[in-house]
Amino acid sequence: MNGPLLEVTSLAKSFGGRKVLDGVDFSVAAGELVAFLGANGSGKSTTLRCVMGITEPDAGTIKLGGQDLGLLQGRSLQQARGRAAMIFQKIHLVPRRTALENVCTGALSRMSTGRSLSPLFFPDPVLEEAMDCLDRVGLADRAHDRVSRLSGGQQQRVAVARALCQRADVVLADEPVSALDPHAAEQVMQLLAGLAHEHGLAVAAVLHQPDLALRHADRAIGLMDGRMVFDSPVTGLGTAELDHLYAPDRRLAA
Amino acid sequence: MSAPTLKRLPTRPALRGRKRWLSWTVVAAVVVFLHVLAIQGTDFQPQLLVDGWKGMAQFLADAFPPDLSWEKTIKPGLDATLVTLWIGLLGTTFSIPTALLLAVLGARTTSPAGWVYQLARAVLSFFRAVPDIVFALIFVTAVGLGPFPGVLALICHNTGVMGKLWAEAMEEIDSGPQEALRAAGANRVQQVANATLPMVVPQFVGLLLYRFDVNVRSSLVLGLVGAGGIGLLINQSIKTFRFDAMLTHIIIVLVLIIVVDQFSAFVRKRLAV
Repeated sequence: MNGPLLEVTSLAKSFGGRKVLDGVDFSVAAGELVAFLGANGSGKSTTLRCVMGITEPDAGTIKLGGQDLGLLQGRSLQQARGRAAMIFQKIHLVPRRTALENVCTGALSRMSTGRSLSPLFFPDPVLEEAMDCLDRVGLADRAHDRVSRLSGGQQQRVAVARALCQRADVVLADEPVSALDPHAAEQVMQLLAGLAHEHGLAVAAVLHQPDLALRHADRAIGLMDGRMVFDSPVTGLGTAELDHLYAPDRRLAA
Repeated sequence: MSAPTLKRLPTRPALRGRKRWLSWTVVAAVVVFLHVLAIQGTDFQPQLLVDGWKGMAQFLADAFPPDLSWEKTIKPGLDATLVTLWIGLLGTTFSIPTALLLAVLGARTTSPAGWVYQLARAVLSFFRAVPDIVFALIFVTAVGLGPFPGVLALICHNTGVMGKLWAEAMEEIDSGPQEALRAAGANRVQQVANATLPMVVPQFVGLLLYRFDVNVRSSLVLGLVGAGGIGLLINQSIKTFRFDAMLTHIIIVLVLIIVVDQFSAFVRKRLAV
């Protein structure tokens, strides 16, 4: 694969006249975990939501695996987007279904509508692949437990397995560990870092805690009022940059 | 312990209090006015009930003691009750496919397009607005008297009510899992089948049992107008002045209603866990 898997240039978005994103440029290469940092309302989540097509950007180009999403429509747009999987803060699994059944739903775009009406009809290859994905997140032994019986950290790992079952090579995580306790957060971050470093995926994660980014990410992008203030390897980041980045939050708290 | 020294900040908003009083007075006046109109419109006169108590007492006295002869009253009563139960059961279960389809099309979160949503809602409103008795009378003209038109009538009416209740249940649940599947490239049918519907199963079953309960009671009323079942027997015993038999039938109905109610409460409790 040549070039970055995800390439975003001059992304802009306004909500009711307020500029939320203003000329955001970045790229994420295979094998790289990039953290998005910033105060509340800095535009971190909106950036990811624009890439996923959940929010429609006003301007800018988004290239996934070299394909410009702006030039695609309908079925081919959906296929191109399928290369990216999303992990949510609120996890968004179906609690009444088992972990395995939830992981299988990552593969829905490859299944016929008829066979996807009930987990009873899911094809065997999908089930096997899903089981393999669960194994990769260390939860093969909980495959047949209802998701509602798993802890928050385990649920988020099931969500990661669902993203794997989608066969995505780009993973976008929107505050994946904000709702988790420190130990589970650490585990999920290690898992995401592993996806990048060992499996060669491109991972972009919005994080609230800079220390997690410093420990797990390769690169950090700082956003402030919708503008990028830095894009540098985490080793080059000092407390001065971070202090500046979170100044808006402190103003609110004061 | 001495009382703490307070700064005595105002605890009541100065202007809002008076405004609130005014709005409450207006609401109360409107409610009273509506009730005056309603009492006039329904000839609601408690005096009539007091004056005519003797007629009612005579009616009840004729009904006691209930007729407990097995061959003449209890056995036909039980047989007819079973028919009533069957009408209620089929009226509920056979309306599941239509109610489900219209609910999915008529819920804002799952409907494919605005006009489909509006159309589905309109169809549901129609089935809900036409009383089951009217449906029964229409079907009688096609298939004749008996339990069958009763079942058809309940299917129609229940489609309207259950479809609306189910659509609202789907609109109320968290739409996050559905959005997650859409982001993963699942089509709309796949999103509904794998996120929305499995999320609302407990609510759906609860509403289904509630409708079963209501439909059994409705089939009783349908029996009064000729759809068979225990309602028909109650009607016949009143027309032939066999009030003691009527009381027996009503007692059987009471037992049926209690059993159905207990059953649905039991299932709902198990589901909630």
